[in-house]
Amino acid sequence: MFLSILLIGPIFSLILTAFESNQELWGHLVNTVLPIYVLNTLLLFIGVLTLSACLGISTAWLVTYYSFTGKKVIEWALILPLACPAYIIAYVYTDFLEYAGPVQGLIRRIFGFNSAADYYFPEIRSIFGAIFVMGFVLYPYVYILARTGFNNSPRSLYETARLYGRNKFLAVGLPLCRPYIVAGLALVAMEVLSDFGTVEYFSVQTLTLGMFNVWIGMNSISAASQIAIVTFVFIIILLVLEGKARSSQKYNDTSKRLNNVSPKELNSKKALFAICFCLVPISVGFIVPVIILINNVFKGLKLDSFLAIFPVLLNTIFIGITATLIIILLAFFSASNSYFSKNRALVTIYNIAATGYALPGTMLAIGVVIFFGFLDNFTGNLVFLGGTIYGVIFALTVRFYAIPYGGVISGYSRIPSTLFDASKSLGYSTMSTSYKITLPLIRTSIIAAAILTFVDIVKELPMTLILRPFNFETLATYTYQFAHDELMIEASLPAFFIICTGLIPILLVQSHLNSFFYSKN
Amino acid sequence: MKFYPLSIITFLFLSFTTVLGAEVNIYSHRQPFLINPFLEKFTQETGIKTNVVYATKGLAQRLKAEGKNSPADVILTVDIGRLYIYDDLDLLASVNSDILDRNIPQNLKSPENKWFALSKRSRIIVTSKERVKEGQITKIEDLAGDQWKGKVCSRPGSHVYNRALMASLILSLGEKAAEDWAKRFVGNLARRPQGNDRAQVKAIFEGQCDISIINNYYFGKLKYSDDPSQREWAKSVRLIFPNQGAEDRGSHVNISGGGVAKYSKNKKEAVALLEFLSKEGSQKMYGEINFEYPVNPNVETTEELKSWGSFKSDRLPIISIAEKAYEAQKIIDKVGW
Repeated sequence: MFLSILLIGPIFSLILTAFESNQELWGHLVNTVLPIYVLNTLLLFIGVLTLSACLGISTAWLVTYYSFTGKKVIEWALILPLACPAYIIAYVYTDFLEYAGPVQGLIRRIFGFNSAADYYFPEIRSIFGAIFVMGFVLYPYVYILARTGFNNSPRSLYETARLYGRNKFLAVGLPLCRPYIVAGLALVAMEVLSDFGTVEYFSVQTLTLGMFNVWIGMNSISAASQIAIVTFVFIIILLVLEGKARSSQKYNDTSKRLNNVSPKELNSKKALFAICFCLVPISVGFIVPVIILINNVFKGLKLDSFLAIFPVLLNTIFIGITATLIIILLAFFSASNSYFSKNRALVTIYNIAATGYALPGTMLAIGVVIFFGFLDNFTGNLVFLGGTIYGVIFALTVRFYAIPYGGVISGYSRIPSTLFDASKSLGYSTMSTSYKITLPLIRTSIIAAAILTFVDIVKELPMTLILRPFNFETLATYTYQFAHDELMIEASLPAFFIICTGLIPILLVQSHLNSFFYSKN
Repeated sequence: MKFYPLSIITFLFLSFTTVLGAEVNIYSHRQPFLINPFLEKFTQETGIKTNVVYATKGLAQRLKAEGKNSPADVILTVDIGRLYIYDDLDLLASVNSDILDRNIPQNLKSPENKWFALSKRSRIIVTSKERVKEGQITKIEDLAGDQWKGKVCSRPGSHVYNRALMASLILSLGEKAAEDWAKRFVGNLARRPQGNDRAQVKAIFEGQCDISIINNYYFGKLKYSDDPSQREWAKSVRLIFPNQGAEDRGSHVNISGGGVAKYSKNKKEAVALLEFLSKEGSQKMYGEINFEYPVNPNVETTEELKSWGSFKSDRLPIISIAEKAYEAQKIIDKVGW
């Protein structure tokens, strides 16, 4: 209870900041840029959600229900794009696809064009560029969660569907996995609404970009908070509506055996198609950008810059592991608590705390800073968290708590409630039920959530940037000082390290991945 | 419990460093790789250790929330707008220093000695050497001319450098004329405003447009880039210091600068750092490292910068640029720059 109140402190602080009248400013915004901001934000939102849903669900379905050569590699390779920060991918693709880049250069050479006017090539620095980049980097959220969902769907239902001649995917897979897919899409949605790096680089005028124009340009942090709160409310309404829509349905299975699906062998032609299909998101979201980055690294290779990175790397790993552990523990206990709790208010607080993800990192950091200031005053300068590592970890917890929380909650929704009843009737407390029954049952959800959280922390930029102690660099902040100035060659080495660090947990569980995805529960 | 040993180590470390020597804590909006050479030299000369947090946004809010307990001593920024925000939030201390008074001209510091400019950068016009004849463009106002329809590229108007330029136009032409200029300027754009100043030079090199506005130091960074293709971009453009006519106002300049935090616990060291940055050696370094102009009137501009041409700069008190930022942003929003 106390912890969850701590977690919503920063969000609350931000809401308080927003309580200041900016009537004149809003009049101006409504008459000029606001409609564009809203339109672009909606377009981006719908575009990225659609793209990542298509990519994530289709690939998850393919690797769950069919088997083909190379599947073992492909099923974990599909997660790889997650390790790439969207804004870095945006930089890389801009260099690659813009007028002076190698792709258009090649086109001009082949067809003998002389200038941009001779042919059509889509502009990468546009809203479509942003949808493209974010969709291909964010789809793994949907993939991982849909994958877990598909794997845990009981075979009996598929057999029933087959008996009745219904489409397995539409009649069983999709509806059954809805809580998982929604959890994945919710993460994507929050990521999109809070993105600043990509839209700034592509100059797509979204609400988030507008927020900073108002804040820095018009010196009005309160108006900026108001915009942040509006997008925040928007996403909460969406989540609530979705929750309402499926509240009447139950997703747990009461059959005795939660047996896994046995994948169908594909013939060689179809297998080739499946491989090519899965290779598209892997290449676009990972292989191509990483090759370009490595190429850049070699262009500017200096021993000094290599050595300078090591302490930074250690910092990043330290922060990543500590924060992930704390977040996972917290999320597990609060999710268990909220699942069993009759206390509506507490459940609401937990759910609100899990929306910190929907706020742009910078705004959340401002909330954290204000909240620390308040704590500091309140306790008579006993707790001074500002500018300490603890402060950074706290902020990361507020932001990324949503990832495991959603995962654990959706894990819970699939456990038959009879199991809990049985446990209770045997005299176990809620706590020991969570520990003895739930934990083993939703192990997969938790591991998946831990990977996502760690990778996200390694990529995290704005909060670490603002809240960190003196002389403290993580890979993301280190990359930023160069990337901010579009010094791509200098930024490539630390950016490459960000991706590698994010890969560590993915590779670590890779050997266990089969057992992990196919867990017998 | 895991953190117990860690916190002890941190505590010991912190108490040792405070016992061992003087320190100065810096909140910087300037990137570490640009500021570090100065700080290293400062530590060498004075023995004062420096600690830095760098971020582009949010440090003012952090400083404000930290209040009296803030560890920050010095604030360094890269444009007048941000310095002004610190001042506006009452986060800076008044500084009395003969050295700073001597080294920094009146129009480049706050009236209450709360912040000081440390280097100047001029916002200049670049044109294609091939496609725009010398003398065709001499003023910022010329960029709104109808003959340049579809020939102009620009960074988004909401960027601090363009906002400051817009503010300078409001101050010298009046709000109405400035808005009119902005409207026609945006009408001349060859593409949606995008990219940073480097990207504008690149676009001219590629032939996407013929004219743009950049901060002068970007030209130097391109000219001496490690990347051979960037050196080519620099070769393709001509620099124009705008509004140089005898009666004209001169080229718009912005500043990088700094101030001392209101609740600084190391005020002496903080002032020493600002003084150090205003002295001849450092003032030269701004030119050598980042192609910026000195603010100290007794320091000569580097040879490299001189070779780009001498110019007179707009004499507006720099604070007025910051005061007009709000109006400037309104116009920028209105015309969709």
